[in-house]
Amino acid sequence: MIDRTQAPLPGSPRPYHFPHVTRATLDNGLRVLVAQNHNAPLVSMRALIRSGADHDAPQVAGLASIVADLLDEGAGSRDGIRLAEDIGLLGGTLGTGADWDASYISLDLLARYAHEAFEIFSDIASRATLPPDGLERVRAERLNDLLQQRDEPAAIAAKRFSGLLYGKGPYGVPMIGTTETIPAIALDDVRRAYREHYIPNNTSVVVSGDVDPERALKLVEETLGGWQRGAETPRPSVSAQALEANRVYLIDRPTAVQSEIRIGHAGVSRASADYFPLSVMNALLGGIFNSRINLNLRERHGYTYGARSVFAFRRSAGPFVVAAPVRNEVTTESVQEVLAELRRIRTGDVEDRELNDTKSYLMGVFPATVQSASDIAGRLLDIELYGLPENYFDHYRESIGGVTKEDVERVAKKYIDPDRALIVIVGNAKQVREPLGALGYPIQELDIDGNTIA
Amino acid sequence: MLNLEQYELGNGLRVVLNEDHSAPLVAVNLWYHVGSKNERPGRTGFAHLFEHMLFSGSEHVGNNEHFRYIQSVGGVLNGTTSFDRTNYFETLPSNYLALGLWLESDRMGFFIPALTQEKLDIQREVVKEERRQHYDNVPYGTSFERLLNLAYDPDYSYHWPTIGSMEDLGAASLDDVRDFFTTWYRPDNCVLTLAGDFNSDEAKKLVDEYFGPIAPAGGFPPFTLERKPQGTERREVFESPVQLPRLYRLYHLPKMGAPDWIYGDLLSTVLASDKASRLDRVLVHERQMAQDVAAYIIPTEASGMMFVQATAREGIPIEAIESAIDDEIAKLVSGGITDDELRRARNRAEIEHAHHVENYDERADIIGMMTTYFGDAEVVNGWLDPYENATVDDLTRVAAQYLIPENRATSLFVPQS
Repeated sequence: MIDRTQAPLPGSPRPYHFPHVTRATLDNGLRVLVAQNHNAPLVSMRALIRSGADHDAPQVAGLASIVADLLDEGAGSRDGIRLAEDIGLLGGTLGTGADWDASYISLDLLARYAHEAFEIFSDIASRATLPPDGLERVRAERLNDLLQQRDEPAAIAAKRFSGLLYGKGPYGVPMIGTTETIPAIALDDVRRAYREHYIPNNTSVVVSGDVDPERALKLVEETLGGWQRGAETPRPSVSAQALEANRVYLIDRPTAVQSEIRIGHAGVSRASADYFPLSVMNALLGGIFNSRINLNLRERHGYTYGARSVFAFRRSAGPFVVAAPVRNEVTTESVQEVLAELRRIRTGDVEDRELNDTKSYLMGVFPATVQSASDIAGRLLDIELYGLPENYFDHYRESIGGVTKEDVERVAKKYIDPDRALIVIVGNAKQVREPLGALGYPIQELDIDGNTIA
Repeated sequence: MLNLEQYELGNGLRVVLNEDHSAPLVAVNLWYHVGSKNERPGRTGFAHLFEHMLFSGSEHVGNNEHFRYIQSVGGVLNGTTSFDRTNYFETLPSNYLALGLWLESDRMGFFIPALTQEKLDIQREVVKEERRQHYDNVPYGTSFERLLNLAYDPDYSYHWPTIGSMEDLGAASLDDVRDFFTTWYRPDNCVLTLAGDFNSDEAKKLVDEYFGPIAPAGGFPPFTLERKPQGTERREVFESPVQLPRLYRLYHLPKMGAPDWIYGDLLSTVLASDKASRLDRVLVHERQMAQDVAAYIIPTEASGMMFVQATAREGIPIEAIESAIDDEIAKLVSGGITDDELRRARNRAEIEHAHHVENYDERADIIGMMTTYFGDAEVVNGWLDPYENATVDDLTRVAAQYLIPENRATSLFVPQS
């Protein structure tokens, strides 16, 4: 008979190894990484262009993402429809996009068609046609997207939080642009940005899955070896507003039955030497289901379906933010509970069990997050984007394991500030305005575009 | 081909093993054959609320400890509820297989003693917040609920979505929770699938030890679900705080796995998937009247559903979108589809299936689904055969037979005037 009263002891752990990576740099500066994995007859191809929306000039904010949206509107000798047809015949799915740090092309396909796919992939990376009618269609689509976001409480909260924190520059103006900037983007801007950033010496190509590394390298060389090198553009700097004290910003949404709460301030860049202590501290604070903030707001109080905290580790310091959608009646209490958790984590009040649970989660979960070809490709893109050491993932677990209780306290004190935070609430102002006064912080009301309401 | 071994314990628990040592992980997955379909009017949302309760501890596992046990060893976990089933799953480092089996068997066999009113009250609030977050506080949030209400008669339990109504959630009592557990959460109503890095003989021994002693219950309550044909078209226009009008449509299909359901799946790819698909190409690309279009089916056991949806661009009336969709369907029926269209649709089915079996967690889940709905795990290995054998005539016939007004419900979300 087994003893049900005790959790069973584990067996001896089986070793885990991150897949072997074959690397090469072509004469034109293009970096190529290939990782083989036979889980399924699939191949993932990725191109990482190391320029993102942070390069957008404020008057044409949204440019990088418009360029990315236009990549599948035509490339090489194919127009947009023909591209989709031919990719469909290869069992492929094409994706393109941009975030603050970079632009991306992804093509996932059935392994038996990999050869044909390299040609299309290289056309999109180096020979996109960026047609004028495509721009007008994508522009109209984007303006309709922006219109739709006016009803989405989470989108409104994210926009207002970023705008208040970073102002009119990168990270502040939405990376998908605004109703002022999207109409201002000209075809020349699009084509210039593509010429300037989509160059081999600013790009890494990752291939993973059911593919022979030598053959993949050869195909990349054949299809992208002739891509012309260009001059790299320096990365613009990003700066956040300094906050003097806590301040509440309330955006009215008269139909709201929940308040979307965002609390936070500027965070840390991915390059920070404190990356690992911060990862552990944040997981314990609000990064995972069994973290303090989620257990408090959800499991102890039943205020929310889920609350979380995030450090947006970008190439420059992205925000630290706690996000929680809660019912109108408990908006003030939820803000108070979040601030109390931010204060408590700074006191060094961390139990051994809590710390060990969090660390062993982060160490143990790693293999489960890199099973598929596209998971592996994603991790290799991280290495390339943030300039991490080649053996980074071989030492990942030790780096987490080395974080101490003192580290957690130190980084919490250094990087979390519950007395100089933005508190953004998108909710039913009539119901929440008065209770929020109990917080004792100044309250500024804004419209959904961020204009001050007297 | 997946290497599968399936067998049944004395208490009726069906077990499927897929031993595979490519990563030091194991997926533990349970499908209980109960979902919102088994609810009655007045107690909607109950199967899902119950799923939340099953994470709040059992006789030997404290409140919130289920999550803690699994996360603290590097595992990932969750559960989901649908019309026909509720699943619970975790992926663990493979040396923690026994931990997963202990936790799952404890809540299958020893759940009732840990039940308290306080836990129910908290989870009821959490689920109400889930409903607010995903349904009531977002644009188009109630579209699925409205479409189901329209497409199915009130006595047919696809009439309501799994989240249930606020009123019914408020009415759920501790006795309801106990009854529901006793009726449905039992070994002979469950499929346990293990996929990953284990030795099958050792795994069988552990499964026996942890699940073998759990007693089966008596019979199941009588339950029939027969859908009467709609007869006439069903349609509504709903004013709501949205910026752009959107069409939501449901076409009835035979149940999942039937040949016409498979053809319907391929047909939905032909209609809307990438830029070259019919509705995308015409409505989004050429005429630029729609912001987006989608067509898809979901795996349902009692009867099939194909969804078509489209958002109008600013200034375009939704009726124009609706008639453009109908025109494209009519063209498809009269002109047929091309061999290339069928080939692309088959490729997409193949790549989706390959993605489903690529990782242990999704693989275990699809095995659990096939075993629950078709009584045989091997169905997963032959799943693509009918897709490969489908012809252009099959698809055209299904379009002509099912994509007709008398077989559809349409809910049009329009901005408030």
